[in-house]
Amino acid sequence: MNENILEIAHLKTYFFTARGVVKAVDDVNFSLRRGENLCLVGESGCGKTATALSILRLVDSPPGRTVGGEVRYHGEDLLRASGDRLRQIRGNRIAMIFQDPQSSLNPVFTVGDQVAEQVKLHLGLKHRQAMEKAVQLMEQVGIPMADERMKDYPHQFSGGMKQRMMIAAALSCDPEILIADEPTTALDTTIKTQILDIFRELKQARDMSILFITHDLGTVAGIADRIIVMYGGRLAEAGTTLDIFDHPKHPYTHGLLKCLPDISNRKDRLTPIPGMIPSLIKPPDGCIFYPRCEWHMPVCLQKRPEEIVISGKHRVACYLYS
Amino acid sequence: MRDGMIKRISHKVGGLKNLLLIGTLLFTILVVLLDWYAADRILRPLGYFYLFFAIFAGFFGIYPLYANRRLTRYYWVRTKKHRLSVFGLTFITLLMVTALIGPFFTQDPTRINFQEKNTPPAGFTIQQSVHDLKSGEFTVREIPGSWQHPLGTDDKGRDMLAMLVSGTRVSLQVGILATLLAIIIGTIMGVVSAYFGGIIDQVLMRFTDIMMTFPFFLLLVFIIFIFGPSLAFIILAIGLTGWTGTARLVRSEALSLRTREFIMASKSLGASDARIIFRHLIPNVISSVIVIATLSIPGIILAEAALSFIGLGDPTVTSWGVILNAGQRSLDTAWWVAVEPGIMLFLTVLAFNFLGDGIRDAFDPRSQLQESK
Repeated sequence: MNENILEIAHLKTYFFTARGVVKAVDDVNFSLRRGENLCLVGESGCGKTATALSILRLVDSPPGRTVGGEVRYHGEDLLRASGDRLRQIRGNRIAMIFQDPQSSLNPVFTVGDQVAEQVKLHLGLKHRQAMEKAVQLMEQVGIPMADERMKDYPHQFSGGMKQRMMIAAALSCDPEILIADEPTTALDTTIKTQILDIFRELKQARDMSILFITHDLGTVAGIADRIIVMYGGRLAEAGTTLDIFDHPKHPYTHGLLKCLPDISNRKDRLTPIPGMIPSLIKPPDGCIFYPRCEWHMPVCLQKRPEEIVISGKHRVACYLYS
Repeated sequence: MRDGMIKRISHKVGGLKNLLLIGTLLFTILVVLLDWYAADRILRPLGYFYLFFAIFAGFFGIYPLYANRRLTRYYWVRTKKHRLSVFGLTFITLLMVTALIGPFFTQDPTRINFQEKNTPPAGFTIQQSVHDLKSGEFTVREIPGSWQHPLGTDDKGRDMLAMLVSGTRVSLQVGILATLLAIIIGTIMGVVSAYFGGIIDQVLMRFTDIMMTFPFFLLLVFIIFIFGPSLAFIILAIGLTGWTGTARLVRSEALSLRTREFIMASKSLGASDARIIFRHLIPNVISSVIVIATLSIPGIILAEAALSFIGLGDPTVTSWGVILNAGQRSLDTAWWVAVEPGIMLFLTVLAFNFLGDGIRDAFDPRSQLQESK
């Protein structure tokens, strides 16, 4: 349970655009334990997706490039693995699902075919067995009449069903790690709850580690064991779910929590974080959250804050605590 | 026991269908080789090519249409709404049948018979002045058309019907084979260039630009000058130069496909580049490719006719361009010799264009079809 199966150290992924270098992921460190549900939280554009894509080396190149750091999967650095080795790991050991289920399936093949393709590719099953396995997987993610519906094309499925199919495809080889990039963002609330239930069941039934990426702290509360708050391509705060919700340290985390509606403490207005996320092309020298921070101090402008361990797993990058 | 073995082999190549295809191809190759060995070639090289083409078309065209009857019916309903495209399809089917079995029913298109020269088509009568050797005078004689030569004869007495049927074969051969070659090259160039991007894209697309600026007709003339006017070279030359438009269009389609999430998704689940190109990109652009192919066939047929017309065609085959060329010289005495291949070319080009439009509307879900009244 305590074994780190994925360790990310000093990960740096930059996008080299015509207007300058965008430091989308700038020195990010964290690790993922077996059977743990780790959530990456942050606003749009703070580097969550880029982090996830860098793990499997899926960043579009050009313009993106992972310029430094390590992604160690059971000690093996994926950033230096060969293409063949990487393909073996992708889908087989580490699977990923994406935000927009509407375009995640190839429109010209039946959904059953696409799930079966994964099974054939990684497990080397024959066509008929692969199809049977596909039906099983579809039943597991809650698609009714799976043996009938597998002959349907993606356009005959609803968004929630497509997301279930993506999960089925990702699960086909029983991966150790599932990276879910905002899997519920494009879905409505009822479907979202169902999909989250699937994740919860998966974690329990298969002892799978999940890296869940979302911008919605409300979604996170129910499923996460640990939370990492990212801001501007850097880690702002990391800790257990309780740490983050009950003892938030970083001003940004405070801000995020204030945006959440709270049923026991009704307010007329939610408080947004003032300002916009800064351009990552020329970030300020000091703390990147400085312009929007309520409690900023002169020292914040000088140097980037180091990560400070508050207690146990609780880390924060802010001068308030040094 | 033997049943088990067949099953095992068919599993290895991915299903019984592929096994059948491979089997048929191997058998055909064997027959061709035996044929070659015995030096008793029944078919000319292009004939063998036809055979392979027919096998591929059967497996990848007709069988899928049959297997997905619901989709086939859907496309048929959509195509049918265009009356003109149904005309196009009918006419092209007739042409293909004519090209395949027509030559068995007509006379020899190369047989010269000066006794029967310049006979008009059946139902027409022309007046011809004939120089009488005995009296040394010109007498005007009426020549009626006869059913022996329903479409008349040319100035060497060759049967026009036989020549037109032979020309159909040549035109379709050139049109279809050259298009096939062009779209295969074009699709691969376009998809590879869009998928890999960067320097590969630059190199391939600049090469396409160079090919585009090259005067295609001049190139054809050079190739024919160097290698001699053979039909196979004409097909190769047209096919190897005519892929640029396809490459451009396929590239632009593949570029927008590449950023769609299912490509990223299948990559994240461990698909290789080749698998993404062949399983995800090409099937998604194939409908546009079919439309371009249908619309480019008439251009190629016209190009071959033009080559033959200016005398650069294959002299051993009777193509529509060759007949046109002959007819143009005797336009004042025998109008039908030029008019008949002209009508054939006109109808064929029109039919392919109509069919192409119909297919485009059937494949494009965005196109608004008017309800039939």
